[in-house]
Amino acid sequence: MLGNQSTEFSENGEDESSRELCANGNRMKTAEVEAKLDEGNIQEAESSLREGLSLNFEEARALLGRLEYQRGNLEGALRVFEGIDLQSAIQRLQASAPPEKPATKKNRPREPPQSVSQHAASLVLEAFYLKAKSLQKLGRITEAARECKSVLDSVEKIFQQGIPDAQVDTRLQETVSHAVELLPALWRESGDYQEAISAYRRALLSQWNLDNDSCARIQKDFAVFLLHSGVEASPPSLGSQVEGSYIPRNNLEEAILLLMILVKKFNLGKAKWDPSVIEHLTFALTLCSQTSVLAKQLEEVMPGVFSRVERWNNLALSYSAAGQATAAVNLLRKSLHKHEQPDDLVALLLAAKICSKEASLAAEGSGYAQRAINNAQGMDEHLKGVGLRMLGLCLGKQAKVPTSDFERSRLQSESLKALDGAIAFEHNNPDLIFELGVQYAEQRNLKAASRYAKEFIDATGGSVLKGWRFLALVLSAQQRFSEAEVVTDAALDETAKWDQGPLLRLKAKLKISQSNPTEAVETYRYLLALVQAQRKSFGPLRTLSQLEEDKVNEFEVWHGLAHLYSSLSHWNDVEVCLKKAGELKQYSASMMHTEGRMWEGRKEFKPALAAFLDGLLLDGASVPCKVAVGALLSERGKDHQPTLPVARSLLSDALRIDPTNRKAWYYLGMVHKHDGRIADATDCFQAASMLEESDPIESFSTIL
Amino acid sequence: MSDFSSSHDSPPSPAIAGDSVTTVANDSSPSDSNAKCQTAIQTLASIVTTTNIPSTISLLLDDDSVSAAISSLLHRPDSGAGDNNLCRWLYDTFQSTEPSLQLLVLRFVPLIAGLYLSRVPLRQPQAGFEAVLLALYAHETTSRAGQAITVNIPDLSHPSIYHESKGPTKNNSTCLNIAVISSTLDPHGTVRSTRRARIVGVALELYYSKISRMPRESKLNFCESCEKWAGQNGETEHSRAVIPTLSDDSWRDEENVAIVGRSERDSGRIPLPWELVQPILRILGHCLMGLKGEDREVAEAANKACQSLYLRSLHDINPKAILAAGSLLRLREMALDPKNQIDHTDISNDTVLSV
Repeated sequence: MLGNQSTEFSENGEDESSRELCANGNRMKTAEVEAKLDEGNIQEAESSLREGLSLNFEEARALLGRLEYQRGNLEGALRVFEGIDLQSAIQRLQASAPPEKPATKKNRPREPPQSVSQHAASLVLEAFYLKAKSLQKLGRITEAARECKSVLDSVEKIFQQGIPDAQVDTRLQETVSHAVELLPALWRESGDYQEAISAYRRALLSQWNLDNDSCARIQKDFAVFLLHSGVEASPPSLGSQVEGSYIPRNNLEEAILLLMILVKKFNLGKAKWDPSVIEHLTFALTLCSQTSVLAKQLEEVMPGVFSRVERWNNLALSYSAAGQATAAVNLLRKSLHKHEQPDDLVALLLAAKICSKEASLAAEGSGYAQRAINNAQGMDEHLKGVGLRMLGLCLGKQAKVPTSDFERSRLQSESLKALDGAIAFEHNNPDLIFELGVQYAEQRNLKAASRYAKEFIDATGGSVLKGWRFLALVLSAQQRFSEAEVVTDAALDETAKWDQGPLLRLKAKLKISQSNPTEAVETYRYLLALVQAQRKSFGPLRTLSQLEEDKVNEFEVWHGLAHLYSSLSHWNDVEVCLKKAGELKQYSASMMHTEGRMWEGRKEFKPALAAFLDGLLLDGASVPCKVAVGALLSERGKDHQPTLPVARSLLSDALRIDPTNRKAWYYLGMVHKHDGRIADATDCFQAASMLEESDPIESFSTIL
Repeated sequence: MSDFSSSHDSPPSPAIAGDSVTTVANDSSPSDSNAKCQTAIQTLASIVTTTNIPSTISLLLDDDSVSAAISSLLHRPDSGAGDNNLCRWLYDTFQSTEPSLQLLVLRFVPLIAGLYLSRVPLRQPQAGFEAVLLALYAHETTSRAGQAITVNIPDLSHPSIYHESKGPTKNNSTCLNIAVISSTLDPHGTVRSTRRARIVGVALELYYSKISRMPRESKLNFCESCEKWAGQNGETEHSRAVIPTLSDDSWRDEENVAIVGRSERDSGRIPLPWELVQPILRILGHCLMGLKGEDREVAEAANKACQSLYLRSLHDINPKAILAAGSLLRLREMALDPKNQIDHTDISNDTVLSV
């Protein structure tokens, strides 16, 4: 504040000579008066004004004060204002104001007599206000706030029914609006936050007849204060409120409400667009993780405010944060169109990331990632690593739905190449290390995979659940079950109860692999209790970052148990578990598969085949069901040759989807054997036996 | 490694209707609290020997030389160990339940959290830091009875105290959108690594709730920690503005990326899940826009931290962090723009003055 003062001086110094005073039809140049003021002769200056412009004492003083203020001579202005007894002036004005009517609170236009005193009130209040302003500029903030507050108190005393909006004196209204806006800012600057809060609310909830722009400014300032001051405001409690209207309970609610109202005002053209408002709202809603609400707000903003690409990109970020990937991708496609901004790095990377999650979009994602890599130059070169990482992820996803084996291995090796390239840029990005590990694991390079898994756990200090799971899976694929169990136990130790689901499931499966079914059942039982307790104890309010990603649901537990009992040939138990699972999720290919195995175990082949086929109908790409049907048909093929080609095509199809399925290789070998192609059969059996040594207990792709 | 079944947490406390009131022990008499303060000061004097300890707590909170001495002790490589005197003092002091003493401990949260998280991959024993952080976590857990903190996102079709709505005044508040800004808290006796971020996040939430009482040094410490956490993501030596405006390309060209000091800065890089990013953003927001007066140094430090966080969120492609950190950076830019520094409360500078 003080810094501004000197510049004001010099600026004002230039046009000093051109200033004029005018009143009652008379005009006079200020030079003469100013000279007297500079000599410190206030009385003389005052009397020359009274004579020259036929003013009374107060009028002359007020005019002099304003002159001094405008010249930037703040101390002088204060001295001039000291001379007026403002309190008694207010009291006189109050006395002259008509007696109040205890009528409704409604802002009703007053009768003409009011305007007589309006002019006098305006003069006194302006003097008051300029005194506050002078104090503010001199850095005497608390005094300034007190003066400013008394302006508002006086206004309320003089105009007890609110300010009449019909015949209000414009200058009076200006002073009042200024004071209303200044007061909270002053309290805030002085550090008196409770006063600031009540001043803001007083400004916004009383009738001051503010114009839209100043009201908007106050609303914004208050919202910013609520968001960032770090002072919790007690909720407004107002008896006079209309029943049923919404009262915010805390800072964030009140701030968001105010900001939303502001955006609406802008949209309706009631206030001038202020770009900071939408930024504040973005911040506030993102903090609450309510980006879908933000997207709605962004959509409602009038055209012409943002460039459309900016709007699309921000919308895409909001939708993607809200988990609405499809909407986000559709918007990004527009903004990355060659006629818009095809080279925008943030948009390209976001698009690539979203596409990398979905096999059907992965090829499109690779394109975005490649463009990002090409455009990451100069200042943005550091983002090249991110582009390469996304390229690697997209290619890895593409490799899941290849057109041929050749294509698959090409994609896989390119994916690895891209991820390796990324690591040169971001050598200690744990996420990248993890993804590289998973890619190696998918290609059954288990040694490299376990190295990266350990590196990931080290780099994250074991804080990420999926790191533990990944290491356990890699160890299980290496058939090192007891070590895998040690890792799982260590992970359980580092996990709070509610996050333990996936680990317990893993542990149960490890127990099965180690031929320890009793303990596996025990673990499942505990898992079931956990999952059920979880469902009961939290409503929708619980959002756990890690839990959300890989939550174990009750269906999975029942299904896992059914699977376990089927491996023990406890068919009745299988049936019970399947029934429970079926209550939770009616149509599931994997469940039909287990049911088929149950019938198979009971030597009832027709219902078994029917179950497997049902599974295939539910999910045409269900590998276990394909393999199971293929297996059944190849068994029958021993006697009925005609079924063998069908079995062969089913198994080949299964292997196209999942080339690491050892059962498929095994039964394909059987088909070849029955058909008499011994060499082919040998190859297949060899593949099956090699894969058996590198099969994880849960698919690696469940983890990424 | 204990058997997992022996380490069950107790189930979350049953829901308590209404807002829980902070259970700070206010029943202690003034003389009692004074005694606590004196004990704390005396113990501190035996730990910090390089400078004089003021005789009252209110002086201690703002004493720069004592803070500097404590900070340098905290920066020692073995400062987080379980047998560290200073950690013990911080722990005991916070447990005293004396609000002014608790503020004193909170003042060091930025440093403790910063050092603790960045040292995790180094596998140093940090039981001392963990004890302090767990004490903060436990305090917050009891004071809100484990409940989540939620916010109702207003719906403008309902009238509110600040606006009228022409729509039908339906009186069902079920239309409100409930947002969780801090999820429920389960008690934790030890820091399990997968809960580490949450525990530190809650300590930061607690810090934020008292941030208006925190000295500026403490906020500067926070901004520094934050930059370390974000790691090196392509910042340059020059404090060039990384403004994420889509239309503005001026920042893209020129200047070369400085690789100097990369590995040093990178060593503090930590995973940044939302449970950490959210309180970080709130604190940075305060440092940028919530101070009562203009403090250029704090605001600039916060702006730098925000830039690091923004670049990091680009590297993580974390849309929420990109949105929030980007907004803060753009707001800072707008605030510095002279166009936006007009004083709307000043009177018009007429050349003709009239009554």
